[in-house]
Amino acid sequence: MNRTFDRYAGIVFLAAGAAFMLESKNISSSAYGSSIGANIFPFVLGLLLSLLSLRLVYGTFRYKRQEEKKKESLDYKRFGIILAAAVLYAFFLEEIGFVIGTFLFLMIGFQTMQRGRIWVSLLISAVFSFGVYYLFVHVLDGSLPGFPAWLGLT
Amino acid sequence: MSTVEYLLNGLGTAMQWHNIAFVFMGVLIGTVVGVLPGIGPMSGVALLIPITATMTAGLGPEESATSSIILLAGVYYGAMYGGSTTSILLNTPGESSSVVTTLDGYQMAKQGRAGAALAIAAIGSFVAGLVSMIGLVFLAKPLSAIAIRFGPAEYFSLMVLGLFAISGLAGKSMLKALIMTVTGLLLATIGIDSVSGVARFTYGIPQLYQGLEFLTVAVGMFALGEVFKTILHREGNDGELAKINRVTPTKQDLKDSAGAIGRGSVLGFFIGLLPGAGAILASFFSYIVEKKISKNPGKFGKGAIEGVAAPESANNAAAGGAMIPLLTLGIPSSGTTAIMMGAFIMYNVQPGPLLFTDHPQLAWGVIASMFVGNLMLLVLNMPLVRLFAKVIETPTKYLIPLIILFSVFGVYAVQYSVFDLMLMLGCGVAGYYLSKNDFPLAPLVLGLILGPMMENNMRRALTISNGDFAIFLQKPVSLLFLIIGALWLVIPLVLKLRGKKVLINEEA
Repeated sequence: MNRTFDRYAGIVFLAAGAAFMLESKNISSSAYGSSIGANIFPFVLGLLLSLLSLRLVYGTFRYKRQEEKKKESLDYKRFGIILAAAVLYAFFLEEIGFVIGTFLFLMIGFQTMQRGRIWVSLLISAVFSFGVYYLFVHVLDGSLPGFPAWLGLT
Repeated sequence: MSTVEYLLNGLGTAMQWHNIAFVFMGVLIGTVVGVLPGIGPMSGVALLIPITATMTAGLGPEESATSSIILLAGVYYGAMYGGSTTSILLNTPGESSSVVTTLDGYQMAKQGRAGAALAIAAIGSFVAGLVSMIGLVFLAKPLSAIAIRFGPAEYFSLMVLGLFAISGLAGKSMLKALIMTVTGLLLATIGIDSVSGVARFTYGIPQLYQGLEFLTVAVGMFALGEVFKTILHREGNDGELAKINRVTPTKQDLKDSAGAIGRGSVLGFFIGLLPGAGAILASFFSYIVEKKISKNPGKFGKGAIEGVAAPESANNAAAGGAMIPLLTLGIPSSGTTAIMMGAFIMYNVQPGPLLFTDHPQLAWGVIASMFVGNLMLLVLNMPLVRLFAKVIETPTKYLIPLIILFSVFGVYAVQYSVFDLMLMLGCGVAGYYLSKNDFPLAPLVLGLILGPMMENNMRRALTISNGDFAIFLQKPVSLLFLIIGALWLVIPLVLKLRGKKVLINEEA
C-alpha cells in the first residue's frame, strides 16, 4: 500500500465530499410540494464520502512503515510525450480535422514507442487515418471533422 | 405465448442475416479483445458502443438496439474464450478471469498438449454458454414476474444491495471500493436533476448540464488507464509462445474433462448470478472444487486437463449468468454488464422486468443470439486457434497508439465534443493512478450508471412516505435487501478480522 498516495487521495476525496455537501445547500430543497428536494441525495452522499475518506486518511497513519520497496523505474518520458500528443490531438481535432490529426498522432505515437522503421509507421498511420475516416464517414454515414477549410479541398 | 414460443421468435430474430453478421463480428472482436493483453472485455465493450451505434443507424430503433446488444454481448462472452488462449500459450492471462487457467493450461502446453488444452477450453466454454443460456431462459420469466411488483422503495434497496455487494468484493480494500462507489454516485448528480429540473453543480458550464457521460468516463478509465499502465511499466509481450500441434483432444481428455465441464458450468452460472461475484470468483471457485473432489489432487498444477476445463467453463457460464440480473432486474452486477446497461440506456431501452413485455423481440433475440454466438465461437476456435495465437504477437508499439486513436474516435463519434475528449484523457490518468493504488474502478462506473435511477427511486419512495426514511425499513422486501446488503459488507470484514483469506474479484 502506498501511504502517501492514499493520504493525499483521501484528502482530495474528503474535500470533494465536503464541497458537494456545501454546494448542495444552494440547491432548491423542495419540489412540487414534496419535502424531498434535489439536494438530499448529493448531501447525504457528500457526507458519506467525507466520512469514508476521513477513515482512509486516519488509516494511513496506522499503516505499518513497510520496508522501502525497490523503486520500479517508470517510463515517464514516453508517457509524457504520448499523453501530451493525445491532449493536443483531442484539442485540435476540430481545427485540423480527423485525418490529419490522426495521422500526426499515430506517427508521434509509433515513433515514441519505438524509434525507427519510419516507412512501416507511415504506412500504418496512413491506412488507419484514411481507413477509419473513409469507413465511418462514407460507408457508415457517420460524421467526423473532415479536412480543414483552409486547405481548400472541398 | 409460452417460453418456448418466445425463444423460437427470438431465434428468428437472431437468424436474420444482419444479426448473424453482428453476432459474428461480436464474437470475433471479442476473441481478439480477449487474446490481446491490455484490453479486457470492459474496455472492448465500451469502445465498441459508438461504432455499433453508427453501424445500426439505418435500422429502426428497436432493431438497432437488438443488433447492438447482440454484438456487445458477443464481445463479452467472446472475450472469455479468447482469454484462455494467452493463458495456455503464453502463461499470461489475456483478461483477469483466465488467471486460474494458467496454472494447468501452461503446464499442458509445456508438455506439448497445448492443442488439447485449447480445444477443451473451447468445448467447455461452449457447454457453459449453453447451460447459462438455458438458465437464462428458465429464470428470466419468473424473476421479472417478481421484480415487476417492486415499488420504488424495493428498487432503491435492491440497488443499495448491488452496490454494497460490488464494493464488498472488489479490490483489496473495501473502504476504497466504497469511496469509489460513492464518488461515482456523486458524479452522477452533476447536471440537470431529472425530477425537478434544477441544475446541480454545473456552475454555468454548458457541457455539464447534460451530466458526465458514462461512456466517456468508462473508456477513459478502463481503456486509457490500461494503455497508460502499459506505457509506464514498459509491458510487452516477449514471452515464448508455446507450439500448437494437434487441436483435437483425445477420447481420454474428453472423458476426463466431461465432469469438470458440467460442474464448472453450473457453478459458474450461479456465481455469475450473484451481484459482485463475477467471472474471476467463478473460475477460482470451480478450480478449488475440482481439486477437492479429484481422486488425485496432486496432479493439479502439473497439467491436469480438469484444471483447464473447470475454470474455463465457469468463467463463461458466469458471463451468461451475469446477464440475468441485468435483463430481469435492470441492475448490472459487474463492470462489463454495467457498461452494457449504459448501451441499453443509450438506445432508450430500460433493462428490467418490463423488458420482456415491452421489448420481447430484443430480450429473446439477445438470448437466442447467445446460442448462435457460442456455436460460432466453437466453430471458429477449433480450426482458427492458430490464427488467434498470431494476434498475440501484435507488437505493443503499434497497439498502444491505435487503442488511444479508437478511444478518441469512439468518444467523439458519439459525443461530438472536445470537452468529452479532455474528460476522457483526464479519467485515463486518474484511472491509472487510482487502480495502481488499489482503488477499484468498476464501482465508480457502476455508481455513475445507477446514480440517477437510485436517486429517482429514493425520491419517489420518500414522496410516497411523506419524507419518512423509515419506509425503506417498513417494507419487508426492501428491509430484506438492505439486510443482505449489509451482510455482504460485514461478512468479508469479519472473515478478514479472523485472518481468513477472502477471494476478491478484480474485474469488478
